Amino acid sequence: MGSEANVIVADGLRKYYGKTHAVDGISLAVRHGEIFGMLGPNGAGKSTTIEMLEGLRTPDAGSVEILGLRQPRDATAIKRRIGIQLQTTALYPRLSVTEILDLFHTFYRGHPTLPTDDLIRLVDLDEKRETRSKQLSGGQKQRLSVALALVNDPEIVFLDEPTTGLDPQARRQLWDVIRALRGRGKTILLTTHYLEEAEQLCDRVAIVDHGKIIEQGAPSELIQRYFQEIAIQFQDGHGGSDAYTRLPGVAHAAAEDGLVTVYSADVPRTMAALLERETSGEGKLRDLSVRSATLEDVFLKLTGRALRD
Amino acid sequence: MSTVWTLYRASLKEFVRDRAALFWTLAFPILFIVMFGIIFKAGSTTYNIGIVNSDGGSVGLGLMQTFKDSKSGDSNVFNVQTYSTQDEAVGALKAGKQDLVLVLPASLSETATSPQPATVDVFYDPSHSASAQIELGLVQGVITQYAAQHLQSVPKLSAVPQSIQTHNLSAIDFLVPGILAMSLMQLGLFGTAPALVSLRQDGVLRRLGATPLPRWMLLASQVLLRLTIGLTQTAFIIGLGVAAFDMHVEGNWLALLGLVLLGAVAFIGMGYLIASFARSVESASGITSAVNFPMMFLSGIFFPIASLAGVPVLAIIIKILPLTYLGDALRQITVQGAPDFPLALDIGVLAAWAIVCGLLSARLFKWE
Ligand SMILES: Nc1ncnc2c1ncn2[C@@H]1O[C@H](COP(=O)(O)OP(=O)(O)OP(=O)(O)O)[C@@H](O)[C@H]1O
Ligand SMILES: [Mg+2]
Repeated sequence: MGSEANVIVADGLRKYYGKTHAVDGISLAVRHGEIFGMLGPNGAGKSTTIEMLEGLRTPDAGSVEILGLRQPRDATAIKRRIGIQLQTTALYPRLSVTEILDLFHTFYRGHPTLPTDDLIRLVDLDEKRETRSKQLSGGQKQRLSVALALVNDPEIVFLDEPTTGLDPQARRQLWDVIRALRGRGKTILLTTHYLEEAEQLCDRVAIVDHGKIIEQGAPSELIQRYFQEIAIQFQDGHGGSDAYTRLPGVAHAAAEDGLVTVYSADVPRTMAALLERETSGEGKLRDLSVRSATLEDVFLKLTGRALRD
Repeated sequence: MSTVWTLYRASLKEFVRDRAALFWTLAFPILFIVMFGIIFKAGSTTYNIGIVNSDGGSVGLGLMQTFKDSKSGDSNVFNVQTYSTQDEAVGALKAGKQDLVLVLPASLSETATSPQPATVDVFYDPSHSASAQIELGLVQGVITQYAAQHLQSVPKLSAVPQSIQTHNLSAIDFLVPGILAMSLMQLGLFGTAPALVSLRQDGVLRRLGATPLPRWMLLASQVLLRLTIGLTQTAFIIGLGVAAFDMHVEGNWLALLGLVLLGAVAFIGMGYLIASFARSVESASGITSAVNFPMMFLSGIFFPIASLAGVPVLAIIIKILPLTYLGDALRQITVQGAPDFPLALDIGVLAAWAIVCGLLSARLFKWE
């Protein structure tokens, strides 16, 4: 794939707030037509990064190129062609859903836009079209703000935690909307701290922690890269993972809050050893489960911490 | 331009749907007018008036009696004391014993009943009286009423105030332009600064900044909205003054419109400047109140500035504040009030404030 297929290119982005290194040297390239996810815990620097890409914050260092245009020089031209959803969107509280969407249409004069009715249907707000924005529920507001990001039928859609606050059903519905956008040749860059979302929705994921990208690639590829093993998980009152790394077949083990995860290349042998430990009273095996590795495991391995929803 | 128009309509809807804000924008100035109007109509105060009656005829005696009999409710409006010479009476005025001195010239009765216009002199000391305009208005009123009732064929009797003042206003004539100026100021300050800071604090400006909308369009729509509100207030205030309190509007409506717009722009500029400094809605409200109160009371909108100018520091402050000039200009234009400053100076000072505040806030205003 040639570099001309990259619609977002960031190089060496940095943003410091006093002593906080919010973004500490992030480079990434997003290809045309893919769903690219930035996955990371609270405070990792996701919002700071995405807003520097959008041109809403000025980087302390580094460069951003969007659709071949440069930030901040071509900021206005870029804004016409991208759609932005902010993590927290404030709207005119006393205007209705329809009125706000109509208002946003006028900001893109001379540029093709999607009709308000289509947008309302797309995010499933039909019943709320005449409701004032301050009377919408959190999830409905979130969906309205996604709709606002699509008004100008943008080539790239930036979504900062689009599904936070949505119930599981609404979340899946929004995934479908996002997949449909990809189907129409749009590029989507989103942030999330839901592993499931990153794994199921994103074509490629960048794992962000402490202002840096610590790993990136397709979710399945990342899991493959780090785990050929199967995860065996159980509660062990003692805590500590050292005792388990020496068991037969175990490649790697991690423990957090008494929850032990053992990654085994040979499940029968490891299980036998674990059962033996329990019988002898050396360890416990409460809430035992066996599953294949997920992005969560990758995150845990890379950062030593679990990523919680 | 149609984008500005849509944005303007959106903000107008926002404003009108905020019932509380709408109510206070219109109710506050009206409350003021009704309050002052009732106070001055009731005339619960008694004014000390010294009368020198050199006229031996019926008109002099009749006028004396009219002043003695003038009642407001159950109480007398004037406490009349007679003096035999003008010097004696003016001495009492200077000493603060009298609020006003009325001199009825010899042969007043003859002139008043002849075809020639007859006049009486009213002396007053603007530096001693906080409400000289009001008292003069009252005296004028009593004399006119007397003339109308007793000298029907020759309604030519009038009082000549002996002071720098050239034109007499009734209390309400004096107050309504002041209240109009005050509400334009408060529109510019309270209506602009906290509202803008809240748009910024809530992130609305930020969200709009994520679209290609040019900032000047947002600004233009906001200013247009405030001007609309300002004109609505003006119509309400003057309408109420005329309808309920016999205000005498004599000015040029077009000039009034221009002046209202200029005044509103100057104070909206000041509001933007405050919004540039304030970090939160609370601090914007605080700064606004801190600016509002001295202006309200040191700009001669409720009292003639002559009565405040005795104190040197105040005299300087009064001459800096834009509200002084807006009040003065509105008074000149709506009711032909006596000018404190030339109209051109009023307009110049207001324009200067508008330009300085506008330029400063264009530099200092933060969108995030
Ligand atoms: N305007 C700011 N001023 C000071 N510090 C900031 C500012 N914006 C972000 N930070 C800091 O930078 C770090 C990264 O913040 P950022 O909002 O980018 O995180 P995030 O990954 O989006 O987190 P979340 O998942 O909670 O949204 C945090 O430590 C935050 O406190
Ligand atoms: Mg964030």
